Amino acid sequence: MLFAGSDGSGKCRIGRQLAPRGKTDIELNMFFWVLAALLTLAAALAVMRPFLRGLTTDVAGREHDLSVYRDQLAELDQEVRRGLVAETEAAEARAEIGRRILRLSQSVDESAEGSVKPGTRLARAVAIAAVLAVPAISWGIYSLIGSPGLPAMPLQARLNEDPAQAPVEDLVARAEAYLADHPEDVRGWQTLAPVYMRLGRYSDAVAAYQRAIDLAGANPEYEAGLGEAMVARSGGIVTAGAEAAFNRALALDEKNARARFFIALARAQEGNGGAARAIWEEMASGLPEQSPWKAAAARAIAGLAQDSAQASASESAPSQDQLAAAQEMTPEARQEMIEGMVASLDAKLRESPADPEGWGRLLRSYVVLGRRDDALGALDRGLSALGPDSPDGKALSELAGTLGLTDTQVNK
Amino acid sequence: MSVELGHFALVLALALALVQALVPLLGARLGSAPLMRMGEPVAITGFALIAFAFAALVLAYVQSDFSVLNVWENSHSAKPLLFKITGTWGNHEGSMLLWVLILAFFGALVAAFGQNLPPTLRANVLAIQGLIASAFLLFILFTSNPFIRLERAPIEGRDLNPILQDIGLAIHPPLLYLGYVGFSISFSFAVAALIDGRLDAAWARWVRPWTLVAWAFLTGGIAMGSYWAYYELGWGGFWFWDPVENASLMPWLAGTALLHSAIVMEKRSALKIWTVLLAILTFSLSLLGTFLVRSGVLTSVHSFATDPTRGVFILAILVFFIGGALALFAVRGASLAPGGLFHPISREGALVFNNLMLTTAAATVLIGTLYPLLIEAISEDKISVGAPFFNLTFVPLFLPLLLAVPFGPLLAWKRGDLPGALQRLQFAFWAAGAAAIASYFLIDRANAAAALGIGLGLWLVFGALTDLAFKSGIGKVGPALALRRLSGLPLSMFGTCFAHAGLGLTVLGIVSVTALQAEKILTMQPGQSTEISGYTLRFVDLRPFTGPNYTEDRAEFALGTTRGASLGELVSSKRLYTARGMPTTEAGIRTMGLSQLYVSIGDRTPAGLVVRIWWKPFVTLIWAGALVMMGGGFISLMDRRLRVGAPARRKAALAADGGGTR
Amino acid sequence: MTRKQKRLAVIGSGMGFLALAAALTFYALGQQTSYFYMPSDLLSQPAAAQERIRLGGLVQQGSVERGQGTHVSFVVADGQNGVPVVYDGILPDLFREEQGVVIEGRMGPDGVFVADTVLAKHDETYMPREVADRLKKDGLWQEQ
Repeated sequence: MLFAGSDGSGKCRIGRQLAPRGKTDIELNMFFWVLAALLTLAAALAVMRPFLRGLTTDVAGREHDLSVYRDQLAELDQEVRRGLVAETEAAEARAEIGRRILRLSQSVDESAEGSVKPGTRLARAVAIAAVLAVPAISWGIYSLIGSPGLPAMPLQARLNEDPAQAPVEDLVARAEAYLADHPEDVRGWQTLAPVYMRLGRYSDAVAAYQRAIDLAGANPEYEAGLGEAMVARSGGIVTAGAEAAFNRALALDEKNARARFFIALARAQEGNGGAARAIWEEMASGLPEQSPWKAAAARAIAGLAQDSAQASASESAPSQDQLAAAQEMTPEARQEMIEGMVASLDAKLRESPADPEGWGRLLRSYVVLGRRDDALGALDRGLSALGPDSPDGKALSELAGTLGLTDTQVNK
Repeated sequence: MSVELGHFALVLALALALVQALVPLLGARLGSAPLMRMGEPVAITGFALIAFAFAALVLAYVQSDFSVLNVWENSHSAKPLLFKITGTWGNHEGSMLLWVLILAFFGALVAAFGQNLPPTLRANVLAIQGLIASAFLLFILFTSNPFIRLERAPIEGRDLNPILQDIGLAIHPPLLYLGYVGFSISFSFAVAALIDGRLDAAWARWVRPWTLVAWAFLTGGIAMGSYWAYYELGWGGFWFWDPVENASLMPWLAGTALLHSAIVMEKRSALKIWTVLLAILTFSLSLLGTFLVRSGVLTSVHSFATDPTRGVFILAILVFFIGGALALFAVRGASLAPGGLFHPISREGALVFNNLMLTTAAATVLIGTLYPLLIEAISEDKISVGAPFFNLTFVPLFLPLLLAVPFGPLLAWKRGDLPGALQRLQFAFWAAGAAAIASYFLIDRANAAAALGIGLGLWLVFGALTDLAFKSGIGKVGPALALRRLSGLPLSMFGTCFAHAGLGLTVLGIVSVTALQAEKILTMQPGQSTEISGYTLRFVDLRPFTGPNYTEDRAEFALGTTRGASLGELVSSKRLYTARGMPTTEAGIRTMGLSQLYVSIGDRTPAGLVVRIWWKPFVTLIWAGALVMMGGGFISLMDRRLRVGAPARRKAALAADGGGTR
Repeated sequence: MTRKQKRLAVIGSGMGFLALAAALTFYALGQQTSYFYMPSDLLSQPAAAQERIRLGGLVQQGSVERGQGTHVSFVVADGQNGVPVVYDGILPDLFREEQGVVIEGRMGPDGVFVADTVLAKHDETYMPREVADRLKKDGLWQEQ
């Protein structure tokens, strides 16, 4: 149902565009160069036109001036006829225009006549240089700055591509397009929200869950999902808004494991390890074997000796193996290890800065560790490495906004 | 592929612009007619190529082709079609492309309709146009290229700044650029004449229609920009003395002066040097405006994102063209022959007065705009020059000019008759005076200054009409004859009348809004009512609403008169554009006659919704007057006398005269 | 008057007018420009009483309080010092805590800045240029 809007006739059209880089692409490319050559030819013809049409004769400059003065005299006569100008003034004006005409005919012999000559040899050379310059300049510059091989990619055509071959981002976009037309489809929002989570588009996930709740009314799963998305958005910290969502979920279904887990995490992050442990232990013992939250709760208990910041740091920054290792250590050693990992990530990014994901991870880690200055430093370096205007750079700025590092984020 | 073809067409246009800049100049040197005429087909083809590139970019916007960086940064697939199209020039790169498109358009017009110009002048004008186009095409291609591609296209764009998602963007920038860039033709004519060393009454006649076109568009563009800011920003102001506004006002003032001094030069062959200088300065101020807006050296409520390297590039263009033109002027200007003499009290004298006032006013605006930059450069102090400065300088300098306007058209050339003109203006004077006195006593809140201001506006309107009445002999001859004479008057006289009367209407609007508007800020709960200037406004409710790419809170008001008649509902809202998470205020405006009721809403507080209400009497006259001025410009343009026929059409007559030179 | 005298008279009156305009301009520049201050400047070198100035900085987190009707008070800070501000009117759409603002008005005798205009630009990435420059120069950018 979800993709009903994009099924049907669009598919075959796209098959062509999606064909593996091969014949069609080359054909398209050839076509482009043929058209470019035609444009260039037209431009060169424009340059050659005065020679082709033999535009060598022209009215001498003097005639143009004369015609203006003739017009002025005619206008003057008309104004006198209408009574707008007195005859005496008109006579003066006529004399003045007459003097201008006289002055013009005196100057004619010196200048104007000489300017109209047929092309000389030098003129021909200039013309040939001009004609050659047109393709040389245009093809030269275009080959420097153009992207001739890149086809146009209108959004509608891309959305109509065969879903099986499209990357997940495009599928999401298709769903978004469908939902833009059918904003009341609860199932659509409900399907999309976890996909957003997996893609790391946490703000969108928050919005999608919110939308599902608005449409379908309160529902423990949606509320818990909303809370989790909010936690992810703020880099692992259970914010007040997220906690409120979990509480709403628990009010509807006090057994909701997701909500319980994060409420416990909130307690832990507040420094109330005892309360957190109580909930997690209850979950670890009470939940059925197959529940993923059972294991999660057990792992959380293992790491509870440490303070909340580190707990969430290990959640968002390092790999799962490192995380597992970290949970076996003493608090000091673990702190050291986390700091060490972040430092090595930092050093790695200094050497090879073209790693947008790495910058994002570093930023998150610093924020979670409470090292705001370092986070801002990393943001600066990241932006200068990726280019502040590049898509990656902008994504990084956005992330920084979400993490509360800059003011770009809107507080809804 | 269309995108890349557009990109290629733009590069090709650069190649042609370079040819257009160099070859006709060389041709004029070598005395080769084909080389001189090469500028014409090249200018027209160049325009076609830039138009093609522009169309390709518009198509990319319409199709939401996010593989184009510029589209991705400034568009969104959910945006309504109109805003996808207008969004093309709602950003730096696209607006520069529009700028160059219009530049090429004017160049092509000269090439196509410039057959009445002497060949050398035509060749030189096109060469200078080509030079300007080359500079800006280089600027676009290497610092602000709208055709930069993304290898992997994002799936959704970042949307256009919500402030720009408005019909105003469809009208204001194109009009404004037609004005700004139109003055490039006057500039090219001036530089071409200086290169050629020939400058006479005929030159003024050739340059005047182009100046008139540019002036009319600039007038309309400024007015539309002002109205847009008025309703979109939600502050209820129509002019903020903001650097970007000043940047458009300065060329307007200089261009108005140029328009008038070119008349003197055409009729009397006087003020040659001054006119050429004005033509150079007007376009220089347009370029300066472009620089100020694009470089971000001045912060402003209107400007788009800015970038210092672009600023340096535009500064280089600015220095090259202004410096080059002024240097040429210094070398050649002195050699120009002086023109006719005139008495201080005469049409010429009045026009000189006009020029003195306008250029001084332009200078004060320039100083007020650049002074903060200067201070910052030398002392690091940051200061701001705002409305109080301009009210204290610009306004007193402009008042004598406004008083003098009705006299100009009534004075004769060479030696005018001031008492005679005064006598003819008697009716206008007494009518305006009576209206001023009446408004002082009849309108609440009207103080002496407001009454005088209203009188001044009416003085301009009646003065302009007096001129027409006198010229058609109304009152002296029978009505039938007067009507016949009126319809027989040259169109340019109607143009003058419209332009001057339009100025009067604008003055009236400004005075009445400034002095007589009523304002009220309060918090309202649903159901609560308030009164302002004879109207009641009842706050009905605040409802959420979802638009295509925004959500909004709509405050609905029921509007009525204090006597109880209902006038329907008025909606004012606070919008949040979701893609950028950016809020805007949409003012609720109700036009009643020439006046408007303007409602904008603020935050929700525990005490209720903050509501700001203005009663703006005769506010629409501000922009209506400007449109009348613009109309006057176009009426003048239709005058046959300004469209001088090409001499080629008179070949037979000339040959019969023995004047032919072939 | 001879023709030459007439001419001199015209040129003279033109010059006189220009001199008048210049005098007016410089007077106005002296009187009507407002200096830009950051909160720290204002404490170290107080502005003359009733002088109209511009004050720039960041709206301090948690400082915005709405009073009766449209009265608002908040604190503009630059990382070291803050100045309390009162304002009566509609705040711009982009006025937020932790966001850069420029406000215009006068310093009251009680140390409270009475604003008549509050500017926050219509651009979501906006940091008023004056504010950004100063924060960077003073090395305070990161303490926002």
